[in-house]
Amino acid sequence: MYRYDDIDKAMLADRAAEFRAQCARRLAGEITEEQFKPVRLMNGLYLQLHAYMLRVAIPYGTLSSAQMRALAHVARTFDRGYGHFTTRTNLQLHWIKLRDAPDILDYLASVGLHAIQTSGNCIRNLTADPLAGVAADEVDDPRIWAEVIRQWSTFHPEFSFLPRKFKIAVTGAREDRAAIRIYDVGLRLHRGEEGELAFEVLAGGGLGRTPYLGPTIRRSLPVRHLLSYLQAILRVYNRYGRRDNLWKARIKVLVASLGAEEFARQVDEEWAKTDHAAVDLPDTELARVRAAFAPLGFQSLPRVSTAFEAAKSEDRGFARFARNNIVAHKTPGYAVVKIALKAPGETPGDCSAEQMDVVADLAERYSLDEVRVAYEQNLILPHVRLDDAATVYQALARVGLATPNIDLISDIIACPGLDYCALANARAIPIAQDIARKFADPDVAEDIGELKIKISGCINACGHHHVGHIGILGVDKKGEEFYQLTLGGSGADDASLGQILGPALPAERVTEAVDQLVGVYLRERQGSERFLDTYRRAGLHPFKEAVYVDSH
Amino acid sequence: MKALTANRLTDGEVVFWANGAWVEHFARAELFDDDPAAEAVEAAARAAITQAVDPYLIDVQPVDEGYAPVSYRERLRALGPTNKRDHGKQALGGPEVDLLNRAHGTARSSGRVNLIKRK
Repeated sequence: MYRYDDIDKAMLADRAAEFRAQCARRLAGEITEEQFKPVRLMNGLYLQLHAYMLRVAIPYGTLSSAQMRALAHVARTFDRGYGHFTTRTNLQLHWIKLRDAPDILDYLASVGLHAIQTSGNCIRNLTADPLAGVAADEVDDPRIWAEVIRQWSTFHPEFSFLPRKFKIAVTGAREDRAAIRIYDVGLRLHRGEEGELAFEVLAGGGLGRTPYLGPTIRRSLPVRHLLSYLQAILRVYNRYGRRDNLWKARIKVLVASLGAEEFARQVDEEWAKTDHAAVDLPDTELARVRAAFAPLGFQSLPRVSTAFEAAKSEDRGFARFARNNIVAHKTPGYAVVKIALKAPGETPGDCSAEQMDVVADLAERYSLDEVRVAYEQNLILPHVRLDDAATVYQALARVGLATPNIDLISDIIACPGLDYCALANARAIPIAQDIARKFADPDVAEDIGELKIKISGCINACGHHHVGHIGILGVDKKGEEFYQLTLGGSGADDASLGQILGPALPAERVTEAVDQLVGVYLRERQGSERFLDTYRRAGLHPFKEAVYVDSH
Repeated sequence: MKALTANRLTDGEVVFWANGAWVEHFARAELFDDDPAAEAVEAAARAAITQAVDPYLIDVQPVDEGYAPVSYRERLRALGPTNKRDHGKQALGGPEVDLLNRAHGTARSSGRVNLIKRK
């Protein structure tokens, strides 16, 4: 993985020192909250319902074991012993004190972590395929390009005051595991007709109040022109994106109002005027970044591990874990171990300091020192030898991290909601906990199969409810928490936005309704259909009838 | 009836105004019958910029033998997150916490005075 060089380190040290001085001035009353607020937000420090919240950036979801240990240390020393991994693959600490924030940023900087690009109307921290460098269906490692964009966009003066925040996701694989169609810009690496590496560029996706799936604005952009082309997109957006209306300020509204074709034309026009060489990285610099992601020292191992196969036949719990949480690695003899932060009854995405330490130790010992954060609010050990998988499983199980439910009904995305967030209208976490408890039986969950439930506590859609197979949106209806259900969304290759099932339900009806929806699926499914497939074939009607039949 | 609330500057702790100082528990908050008096205190609290961030008035109503914020959001601030009952002020337990938990009714939108103005 990319290690910060002296320039990166100096930038972080300067930034932390600057913030320390700004905090001191605020605490002394030399500047007002109005003056200080944009400064603290630029350093990831929000004020929420109960305390300050620090959002630590985890660029493209990649952490070393030392960085994971540092997060555990911060959670233990400055917070209440836990952190919350988000759908943007960042870590939120929900009980931070302003007076501690400078020390925290200093400490994070010592391991190459920071909270830059986690707030404000700038290019935000990037996300990427969590199986980058691991998946067999990959044409190039998206982390290389995510890191290039990170370096280019950090403190970029021209793009520090965009009409609204700007989020970019990158994948290098055929299968979209980075949800690129719901981002302001989505980038998919592929091989062009002559075998050259190119980007398919999508623009104008996004959720929130007005959800859109991003259309493709360029099929094949030579990779060397990535930055100049991104600059052209951002210039068009910066010039014409609406600044008069917060709800219409994202690029998706501009792309939708112009049409993808016209937007692409304007970007091309801008791009044609650009001095590409002044923006695009020289090959030497690209090579330097690429070298940071060179293949690791994998051992030459047989494709089949006798130890792995034996452990599966001896331990049914491990066999189940292997079925649901372990996926193939492109290197023979290695596997990807997914760690669900979704034990039924727990808060989705929460991870205790003790659990972080265990994951860090396992990464160091068994996963070539790497941890990944997935946008589904889960963690990944990307490079585990099949021979070690059972040992890793046992160590995870000892700290409650071996829930075998990846992509199953209890692997629920939920934003912090009204339990923490100042923007929320309703709680999301207790709804997720209740549903997960209802489907805690792993046999039942496996029988139901892939079913992605995503919950947001307000229309900002941090919980991605629009692209949930079952989406749940918390609303404030005449002063009470109500929940609007949508069906048929997907953030994967078959991306789609969910359709509203019917009138919003009171909190105590939500789990029952999910159970009724699952009942319809189990009754109607044909062959190996997933919930989403059955919905797409059978339509909304049978599901709607099951949930609302008593209401008529 | 109204109370004045904010988050303390140094640590973000939820605080309530009580006779010239900020206190941590809603049960000790000063309640204002009189709007001009409440607004005067709010203005004074806003001017003291090193103490609390963004003070604002909330509506309060009688509940059983005491009082509770009208809005669910404000009760949640006065208690702590519902997913971790050992965090926030609710961790102390006792009759004051029970009373806030017993209160029910309107959620976010109606409890906060001048919500729109703040945004």
